[in-house]
Amino acid sequence: MKCSRCKATACVSLPSHHSGFCPDCFKLFFTRQVETAVRREKMFTRDERILVALSGGKDSLALMLELSSQGYDVTGLHIDLGIPDSSEKARAKVEAFCASRGLRLEVFEMAKWGLPIPDVKRFSTRPVCAVCGKLKRHHFNRIALAGGYDALATGHNLDDEVARLFANTLRWDVGYLSDQGPALPAREGFVRKVKPLFRLSEFETANYAFLQGIEIHSDPCPYASGASFTGHKELWGELEHRSPGQKFQFYQGFLQRGRRAFAALDKAEGDVLAPCTACGSPTNAGVCSICRIRESIREKKLEAGEA
Amino acid sequence: MITVNLEPDGKVLELHDIRSVVGLLNKLGMRHTMAIIARGGELLTPDRKLSHGDVVLVRKVTSAG
Ligand code: SF4
Ligand SMILES: [Zn+2]
Ligand SMILES: [Zn+2]
Repeated sequence: MKCSRCKATACVSLPSHHSGFCPDCFKLFFTRQVETAVRREKMFTRDERILVALSGGKDSLALMLELSSQGYDVTGLHIDLGIPDSSEKARAKVEAFCASRGLRLEVFEMAKWGLPIPDVKRFSTRPVCAVCGKLKRHHFNRIALAGGYDALATGHNLDDEVARLFANTLRWDVGYLSDQGPALPAREGFVRKVKPLFRLSEFETANYAFLQGIEIHSDPCPYASGASFTGHKELWGELEHRSPGQKFQFYQGFLQRGRRAFAALDKAEGDVLAPCTACGSPTNAGVCSICRIRESIREKKLEAGEA
Repeated sequence: MITVNLEPDGKVLELHDIRSVVGLLNKLGMRHTMAIIARGGELLTPDRKLSHGDVVLVRKVTSAG
């Protein structure tokens, strides 16, 4: 296969774009997709400060590298979850990556905050990933606001977005469907949230990461189950194989035609948010769920004689 | 025979009668966009030929969490 742009030997074939690219032209394709995403969704400008959530996965590192090479003012934020073995490796990888590329990095430690994820696993009655995800989102938002950042960027790609949209559509979850999308404006208590890789598939990001020499953190979290998420991605992989481009159309169609309807519904019926009386984060419940989780785990630890 | 390094599983497979990347993907039961395939640091599109003695990296793209 020849590169669609320069006719050199292609290294990546992209059925959904009816094209193939050589390494240089693929890099250009990737950059253009991010530029288009940032411009069309009005994500941020070169005068703004962007905090990039860095898990250590290929997507977040690829995002950080690409935004920095486009001249954006980026700082990475890694949350050390305190999971033995796995968190140390992820953190070391993010630190090495940022150091070698001269990128700014902040690290927040869950253990220092008093709630390493293994405690959640042991003492919470809720699924660990649900709580872990909530905690991470809380801290990313809080740290972005406290640091005066204009936007929080995450490495979610098209497959992540479609899998999540699909899961929420299967449940007709109005709350999620009303405020899901690649760019959510700031509002009281929430920083602006953006996903500059939303036009790019997991396959495309993986190719970019490979070509940029980004190593992949290949020790998955020991608590990961990921069953339904991975299942939905596989289903979509099959649909995409049969009609290339369908994934993007489904997501784009939702943004253009579906989301507004759900937002209107949610506005009519949804919750009113006020600052948490303990920590100030927006909540609909007096004391927010983060503070309640933290308190209940602290009590259970005390009962177990461990705190 | 070709040698396949499967990531992130960390498995090594030895496969016979594989003549192309698409043949390899089929053998592994994978769609073209489920994994990136590289040989000697070079990414390969599905139409590329493979030959006896090749060592190939197959890296699945779906992250588990
Ligand atoms: S797999 Fe679950 S526990 Fe592990 S990092 Fe992800 S959300 Fe947290
Ligand atoms: Zn080219
Ligand atoms: Zn609170």
